[in-house]
Order: sequence, then C-alpha cells, then structure tokens
Amino acid sequence: MKKFTKAMCLVCVLALAVTAFAACGGAKSNSYTANNTEFVIGMSGPLTGGAAIYGTAVRNAAEMAVEEINANGGLNGTMFKLVAMDDKHDASNIATNYASLYEGGMQVSLGTVTTAPGLEFKTYANDDNVFFLTPSASGDDIPEFETGYQMCFADGNQGKVAASYVNENCKGQTIGVFYKTDDAYSKGIFDQFKENLDASITTVDTSFNDATATDFSTQIDTLKDCKFIFMPIYYDPASLFMTQAVGTIANDAIYYGCDGLDGIDSKEGFDINSIPQEVSMLSHFNSKATDGPSAEFIQKYVAKYGADTLNQFGASAYDCVYAIYTAMKEAYEADNSSIYVTMSASELSDILKAKFQNGFTFTGVTGDGKEISWEADGTVNKTAIKYIIKEAD
Amino acid sequence: MTKTTDKNVQNTSPIKQKGQWKSFLNYIVIGGILIFFLIFSMVGGMKSSTQYLLEKIAIAMILAVSLSMVVGFLGELSLGHAGFMCVGAYLGGKTAVLLVPALGNGLPTLLISLVVGGLSAAICGIIVGLPALRLRGDYLAIVTLAFGEIVKSIFMNSSSDSFGGALGLKTPRYDRNSLFIFSFVLVLLTLAVVQNVIRSRHGRAVTAIRDSEIAARATGISVTRYKLIVFAMSAFFAGIAGVLYSFSNQTVQSVKFGFNYSIEILVMVVLGGMGSINGSLIASALITFLNVRLATVLTGNLAVLQNLIYALVLIFIVIYKNAPSLSGLREKMRFQNLLHKNKKPKGSE
Amino acid sequence: MDFITTFINGLSLGGIYAMIALGYTMVYGIAKMLNFAHGDIIMVGGYTILVVLNLCGNPILATIAAIVLCVVLGVVVEKLAYKPLRGASNLAVLITAIGVSYLLQSLAQIIFGSASKMVNIANLGVLQVGSIKIQGYTLFTLICTIVVMIALTLFIRYTKLGKAMLAVSEDRGAAQLMGINANRIITITFIIGSALAAVAGLCTLMKAPSINSTFGAMPGIKAFTAAVIGGIGSIPGAMLGGILLGVVESISNKITVIAPYTDAIEFGILIVILLIRPTGILGKKRREKV
Repeated sequence: MKKFTKAMCLVCVLALAVTAFAACGGAKSNSYTANNTEFVIGMSGPLTGGAAIYGTAVRNAAEMAVEEINANGGLNGTMFKLVAMDDKHDASNIATNYASLYEGGMQVSLGTVTTAPGLEFKTYANDDNVFFLTPSASGDDIPEFETGYQMCFADGNQGKVAASYVNENCKGQTIGVFYKTDDAYSKGIFDQFKENLDASITTVDTSFNDATATDFSTQIDTLKDCKFIFMPIYYDPASLFMTQAVGTIANDAIYYGCDGLDGIDSKEGFDINSIPQEVSMLSHFNSKATDGPSAEFIQKYVAKYGADTLNQFGASAYDCVYAIYTAMKEAYEADNSSIYVTMSASELSDILKAKFQNGFTFTGVTGDGKEISWEADGTVNKTAIKYIIKEAD
Repeated sequence: MTKTTDKNVQNTSPIKQKGQWKSFLNYIVIGGILIFFLIFSMVGGMKSSTQYLLEKIAIAMILAVSLSMVVGFLGELSLGHAGFMCVGAYLGGKTAVLLVPALGNGLPTLLISLVVGGLSAAICGIIVGLPALRLRGDYLAIVTLAFGEIVKSIFMNSSSDSFGGALGLKTPRYDRNSLFIFSFVLVLLTLAVVQNVIRSRHGRAVTAIRDSEIAARATGISVTRYKLIVFAMSAFFAGIAGVLYSFSNQTVQSVKFGFNYSIEILVMVVLGGMGSINGSLIASALITFLNVRLATVLTGNLAVLQNLIYALVLIFIVIYKNAPSLSGLREKMRFQNLLHKNKKPKGSE
Repeated sequence: MDFITTFINGLSLGGIYAMIALGYTMVYGIAKMLNFAHGDIIMVGGYTILVVLNLCGNPILATIAAIVLCVVLGVVVEKLAYKPLRGASNLAVLITAIGVSYLLQSLAQIIFGSASKMVNIANLGVLQVGSIKIQGYTLFTLICTIVVMIALTLFIRYTKLGKAMLAVSEDRGAAQLMGINANRIITITFIIGSALAAVAGLCTLMKAPSINSTFGAMPGIKAFTAAVIGGIGSIPGAMLGGILLGVVESISNKITVIAPYTDAIEFGILIVILLIRPTGILGKKRREKV
C-alpha cells in the first residue's frame, strides 16, 4: 500500500507540475495584450458570499455600459470587453485575480469593488502601471499610487463632510452613532467623523459586526433617546435596523447616512414608507431621480437586471466605464495613433493618467448631473447632495 | 534530509532495508519541482500567476502538514488552525514592518519574522493545548474554534497604529520572483521536522495516544507533555505559514482567518487521508489548484458556480473514499489493481 | 429599566439560538455527527417562508410549508450525504456536512440572487409595560421557544419514540439489540431537527426580516457554541446554552466599550465554562473504559 501511495503521490505532483508548466509559457513581458481584438476592462469584486450584492451591482452596471458602448460602435469600431473576477471580498484572492486579468490582456481596470481587496490591488496595478478607476472602493488609501483613481468619495472625506453637517445642525445635542466594526468603509467614516466632531456634541456609539448582525434590539434600545442617528453603514443592515426600530426609536428622529445607504429604497420587500422616521443621506447618486441621466440609468438597469440590485455601486460603475471610454475617445480624437486595440496596459495608463490629471471632466449619472473631475491625488471631485430618501411622517 | 539513516540505511534499519529511499520520496518530488521551477523562473518563463499559485500551494502545504499533526497523528479535532496562522501573520508581519527600516527587505528580515511569528503562534498553541489536557473530542474542537474567533476579533479591533484594525496591517512585500522558492524550501523544512518527529520514538508515542490514551498512559507515556508538544509544533508551523502569507500579501486582514479558513485546511487533511503526510501534501496542492482554477475560469456571471462545483466535488470524494458500502468499488478501482489486472493483488497491500 | 429590556432581548435572541442548538445537539446525541449544514436548513426555511408569503400572503401557511420543506430536505440530505458514511470516521461526515452547507448556500444564491430580500411576515406591534417597551417579535420568539421546549421535553419523556431516541443516544448497540431501528430513529432526529430549524428561521425572520444566502451561517455557529456550552447531546443543555449565549450577547452589545468584542466575549465564556466543566454545563461525564 505504502509503495502505491508514493507512486500516486509522484503521479499527482507531476500532473500538477505539468499543468503549471502549461500555464507558464511566454516570457514575462507586456506582450499579453498583443492578441487583443477588443479593449479589455478588468475588475475584481465579491460576486459570491456575504458581500455579493455589491459586486453584482457593479458587474451588472459595468456590463450594461460596455454593451451600450459596443452597440454604439465601440471606440471607432473597436469593441470593449469586461472581465469580472470574483474575490469574495477577500484580499488574499487579489494576487491571483490580478495576475489572471493582467495576463488575460487587461488594458484598463475598474479596480476592486470593496476597499479591503483594493488595498492589495493598487500595489499590483502600480507595479505594472495599470490605470484603474474604482467605482466603490472608497478607502482613503486606494488612490495612494498614481495609477489609482476613485469614482466614489473617499471615506475620510465622507466622515468629515458628515461631521460638518452634524456640527451645523445638531449643536449641543446628543446624537447616536451606529457603525460596523469589522468593515473598513464604516470604520473609516466613523473615525474621521469622531475626529472632526464639534466638542459640544456628545455621541452615543453603538456598533455591530458580522457575527452580531442579526439582532439589533440592544443597539436600538441604547439609541432610543437620540433624535439624530448617524449610520455610516451599507443599506442592507440599515434597512434591518430601521425595521427593527419601528416603535422604539422616536418617530421624529432622523436617520442620516453616507452613500452606503443608497439603494435602501429599492431593496426587495422593504417598504421605506413603513419607516416613520426621516431617512436622509449624503450621496453622489440619487436613486429616486425622475428625470435626467440618473433616471434614464435607473430605468435601463431595472429593465435589465431588476430593482433589487440597484444602488449607487452600480451607478458609479456605469460612470466609471463611461469615464474611461470618454477619456480614451478624447485621446483618440486628439491623436488617431495613440489608441489602438493591442496597446499595452502601461501605454494606455500613461495616456489616461495624463488626461485625468490635466482637467479631464465627465458628466454621468452620479454627481447630480454636474461635471466630475479628479484631484491630482486620485480622489474624485463631484457634487454630493443631502438626499432625503424619505420625509418624516 | 537531516536523518542519518539516509546514508547508512543498512545499519540502523534492519527491518526495511529495501525501498528505504521511498520514505524520502516526498522530499525528492518537492525538491525536484523546486529545482524545476527555479530553473524555469531563471530563464524568465514564469508568469506571475504561476508564482502566486505556487506561493499559495506552499502555504497550504505547510498548513495541511501542520494540522495533520494534531488531527491525523494526535487524533484531536482542531477547528481553529487559522487562528494560529493569524497570530503568525500579524506578529511576523509587524516584526517585518519594524525591521525593514533597519535591515532592509531581505532574507534577514524574513528569517527573523518567521522565527517571531512561529514562536508567538507556538506560545498560543501551548495556551490552547492546556485545555486539551482536560477536554476531549468535540469539546476541544470548539475550544480551538473559539480561540480562532477570539484572535480574529482582537486583531480586528486593534488600533490603527498597532495592527491596523479593520483595514488590516500593511506588510512589506518580498521579492515575488524568489518568495515562492523560499516558500517551497520552507515546505521541505516543515516536512523534514514533522516527518522526523513522527517517525521517531516521540511520534510513536503520539500515535499511541491517538489509538488509546489510557493504554498510552499505562505504558508510561507522558500524555500531557506530548499533547502540548504536538499543539505547539503544529501552531509553530501554522505561524510560519502565516508569516509567509503576510509576505506574499500587502495587507493582513483578520477577517480572512475565520472559521471557514480553518475548515478549508481541515478539508485538505481529511481528503488527504488521516495520518498521511503525503496525502495532506497532495490534497492541499490539488484543492488550492482547483480553487484558483475555478476562480480563473468561472468569471462574471458564472462565479456563483465555483462553490457549487467545489461542494459537489467535496461531497463525492468524501463519500467515494469513505463510504463502507463502496469499499468493493474502491477496491476494484484501485490504481494498482487496474494496472496489474492480470497479476494477483498483493495480500499485504 | 434598561437592563430589563436588554435582558428580555437577550432571552429572545437566546431562544433562537436554543432552537437551532436543539437541532445540533439531538443530531449529535443520536447520530454522533456535527451537522454543520444545520444553519443552512434555517436559510432554506427562511426562503420558503419568503416564497410562500409572496404567493399567498398567509404567514401560517408559509410556516407550515417551510417546516415541510425543511423536513424533506433534512431527510434527503441525511439519506444521500450522511447515510452512506455511517460507520465511516466522524470527520468524513463532518466534511460532507460542510460540503452540503456550501452546496445549499450556492444554490440559494443561484436561485434567489445575491441581494438580500426583506420578508414582512406580520407586524406584531410593541407591548408597553410601564416604561419598558417590548417588541412583539421578541415576545413571539420567547413564546415559540418555550412551547417548543416543553413539547420536546414531553415528547422525549413520555412517548415511545422519544424514549427510543434517548436509548439510541445512550447506547446505539444496546438499543438495536432491544429491537429499536437505529436508522429510523436517526431519520426522525433529522426530521425534528429540521422542523425546529424552520421554526428558528421563522423567529429569526420575525426579528431580522432580511434574508440572503448566508442567513443561517452565523446563527448556526453561535448555536453550535451554545450546544457545546450546555453540554452537547443534552437537550436541556442546549436550551440553557442558547439562552445564556443570547443574554451575554445582548448585554455585551449594550456596553459601548466592549461591544466590538462581543463575539470574543461569547467565545471566551465558552472556554471558561468548558475549563470548569469539561463536558458543558449539563453534559454527562463519560468515564472511559479500557
């Protein structure tokens, strides 16, 4: 038996070596794009697991944008292709995902959907000089290197803006805060918020994490006397919190969140009107828009994928694809030879970086229909509005 | 290959003189692969994705072999192996962060981090091993699970200056062209230590405890001591794997090291066959490879199929390998029986 | 006052854990396996409630449908995935259970998508006693738990089938010699466990009316912890462990400073309890025979 195990061992390991060998091939160079027949946009996001909703929204909307661009003839006849890989919201999958995207001919990227994997992604992208414009990885460190750009607001900024709003409107009051401790997005906003908060305001902090995310009754009970509750969390737990809190939290209280709350009114089965309190948020996308490009996007998205995955992640991703397309198109129009289908990621990155750093503006479905531009550090510069998703009853 | 018996087999091992080399087959195979890829990467024909895959496989192999000591040889179920890895990854990673300004990001930093990460994990191993002296079976399993979750939670809530909190600890990167080679060297080292311990007097004592604790105690084996040693060693190597992880990733995020990851390692050990080091090696390589392949092939819409396929493969393999009612089929389908259809199968095998 | 509310919230959360823990503990006691797919049965129950509720709007019908489907699923899983492995090592069964868990989760995502869905079963309002406000769903869960526990205890103690289950869990071999069909008893255990999972799913949905494919994973692990705290294999132990865990979670969430460490505290308590009583609070001490 022993002899045989050994033989099996040998066979299997050899098989493995051979497969790996087959995967090798070709010298390490930038020639991966040489056989491209379409422009390849790569992205990595959570398509399965607990955070799948965000990755799915981004993938759907980006796919939709790519299809639209292709239907309109692509970039001077050259089509685009989106390759979306699943990272399960786990940073350790990024090395593999990035490498297979890059070796699969990726020329430009949407980076990652969530922050934690994005911290991994940015370094690889910087090594190979791959331009990425992330729709929703909002960590402050995501645009650390020169190839990284954000379409969403950075967490720190959101925290600051929220704090200044609260400073103005809730002087001397006690406000409640409800955040998620094991989420980079929530924790990032929370830290900056606390730092910039006026000394006259006291806060009641409550929190939850993945392990305690089913029952919020204790947190609700702690917050029951607060008239203003700041919740820098995503809409999924927020809707749960609000539903559970009906009857405990005062009806004239205000729920105030950041862009993560967006999508709460389109969550399947959740009727925002059953919440007596005011729900408002600071966001770059109005999911209740009835006219303009936002409304058009909402209509198309819902027709294609249904309303239950509609949120600002998708809107932002849709804008990312169009922003990249527009920048490429402008570059192409300025110089016909600068953009070609087999160009390397690095060449395209240089062109896009030059554009994004030198006053490239873009108007899309986010940013209230106004121009979006980028700072030199890669953060976005666009209009954010306090949307009241639902008025108080 | 630290064993002296390698050179003078004749004198020390009278029972199995022929075929002694086969005990070292796994070193030879892994060493061969190592040299193969070394040459390959020197020529410059290696894709980054292959390097990353190899790193992952090496880490998985170290984890599986180390867990195999507890589960396969000591016979205790551990559901918190990722917790030890977490300790190693964070403390080793932190050591590296502190050392890089002084020593640079080279081999010395890596080696010191490995020692620090491994030892701190080993200390945790002893702490977890202590309840093992009182608890049996599934009760011990849940204590290890609890340990893993506690470690995860502590690092998760650490301040951003110490261990990075929710964003994770930023760790220095090691040269990717040589990290996978180094990782495989560590696999060989792990294998050498674990295999030598297991084939020694001490290893036989450990398996004796597994087979019957009472009998082992009666023969004068210090059960306490051996249990602690096995837990500490197993944790040490998990810690080493953690340090490697921190060097192969730019951030260490504690969410990674939850219950699910511990289970993934356990799956490798169980599929490889309890108490079979080679089995663990093969299973860890194949499972890692399968997962990476599935992730690369099934993109976009198809991503949801990854877990489905993985789950089905898992269920079928386990049932096929273990179901008592399928033993006849297994016997028929055995490779050597297929190969030597005409020959009589050897009774002893 | 605050403390009382926190305590009651903890009791009701603990009730849910207890119901799930009962499933774990019974299966463990009788089939000697850790059924890690148990949490996902809850998820299936939850989705059934969602679908039936959307079809006909009747919460009682939805609950019955969920119980039936969970029972069928539990039996099918037992027959296909666990029964072939009877007699094989416990670890092999553990791994198939994990496989089944992954399988159910990914199937749920394929069928229902990745977005979590709200399930509005029934609005039970708020009960106000003095200055204490108690949510209707909290009371509902408490009542459900108490009813289930009493019914189960009576079943085990006074019916022939219940006694047979007890016998199989004590000593399967001896029970078989007495003419008890152990396989049948195991199937019945799965039926009861799955039905309880469906009820737990209902209670969880009443409390937290949002469901996605990982809905049952965390409650499953918590309940497993609860079952071990109480002494795995012991039915009153599972109830006690579940409620203890729920109360601890609730109190810990209440205190801001330690709130982020809630799960660490729960697991820490588990370790302490096991160190004091190595077989859980109500677990039986087994003397090993040579």
